[in-house]
Amino acid sequence: MKYFEELKRSMDFLAANANTVFVGQAVAVPGTAMSNTLKDVPREKLIELPVAEEMQMGMTSGLALGGMIPISIFPRWNFVMLAVNQLVNHLDKMPLISNGGFRPKVIIRTSIGSERPLHPQYQHVGDYTEAFRLMCPNIDIVRLDEPEHIFPAYLQALERTDGRSTLLVEHGDYYNEK
Amino acid sequence: MITNLTPEDLVAFEAEIAELFNSAKIRAPVHLYSGNEKQMIDVFQDVKREDWLFCSWRSHYQCMLKGVPLDVLKQEILAGRSISLCFPEQRIFSSAIVGGALPIALGTALSVKLRGGAERVHCFMGEMTSETGIAHECIKYARNFNLPIRFIIEDNGQSVCTDTREAWNQKILTYETLNDPMIKYYRYETRYPHAGAGVRVQF
Repeated sequence: MKYFEELKRSMDFLAANANTVFVGQAVAVPGTAMSNTLKDVPREKLIELPVAEEMQMGMTSGLALGGMIPISIFPRWNFVMLAVNQLVNHLDKMPLISNGGFRPKVIIRTSIGSERPLHPQYQHVGDYTEAFRLMCPNIDIVRLDEPEHIFPAYLQALERTDGRSTLLVEHGDYYNEK
Repeated sequence: MITNLTPEDLVAFEAEIAELFNSAKIRAPVHLYSGNEKQMIDVFQDVKREDWLFCSWRSHYQCMLKGVPLDVLKQEILAGRSISLCFPEQRIFSSAIVGGALPIALGTALSVKLRGGAERVHCFMGEMTSETGIAHECIKYARNFNLPIRFIIEDNGQSVCTDTREAWNQKILTYETLNDPMIKYYRYETRYPHAGAGVRVQF
């Protein structure tokens, strides 16, 4: 299967779990390349949020504390930058400040913006994977470089029992190229 | 009420922590309450055991009134964790970052609504936090989606040493006079500084 098909297959698989919910901008409506991967996810599992990235990331942690498995979607790394406080100071540090008592299982989805055929310029194509690996030692940050990496990575993110969250990084150009 | 603690019990606990801090028994910051004991007990008339609490760096009273055993709470404070006290069993989460707990509280309230739960979320913040962008976003979202959450704004007039009203050039704060069932506002004067207990401690 190709890159996009593996992503869509993974989203359909996540949606089959009774506890999952998908949150973000352009999850229930079109708007980004990622939106198309959610087109067969049941509408009641899609929560369209306002553009409020820090609020979204915090809500994601809160949904997990409340017993759900949120899939929180940020279409580009550059947009995740607006949620850094909640990602670095809160989700990543939650196991530490709670003596391991709070270990929310969150799935975060972001992307390195595509450069071809249109280059959206430099506020939309950041790749901060390594920087966030340094800032978030308690979150697994996984690059999805090949189609065959995608489903196993989402399977692990959903079924893991070690209390860690997973941030999965797509590459926008691979939607058309792989 | 979950506990039968009195205002005097609350004051005595903080006084003991102040004494421990001033005698260098706690090698981490503490942020103490005083002067709001009656208001806090009033807030907890409406808190049930299954409810969630989200707090800031100042949370000893909330932990006591939610039913954390006092010896357990004291040990956590002695271990240096006063600034972000978390007790999963009592459903208490605290953050030492301004506004940090608010969107997490919001998400927990959303999960309660999605699951059809009966519990509620109580989210505490100071008056400077209540003026931040994240507070406005979270309160707006909670109101518009009628989430099972209550925001409690505790106004001691200062953020560390900064006068909140002077810094914003605003005599009446945004939620100060609002009649909103989702928001509880109260004002109090504290005898403790922002952090510590008023004595320079040499470790």
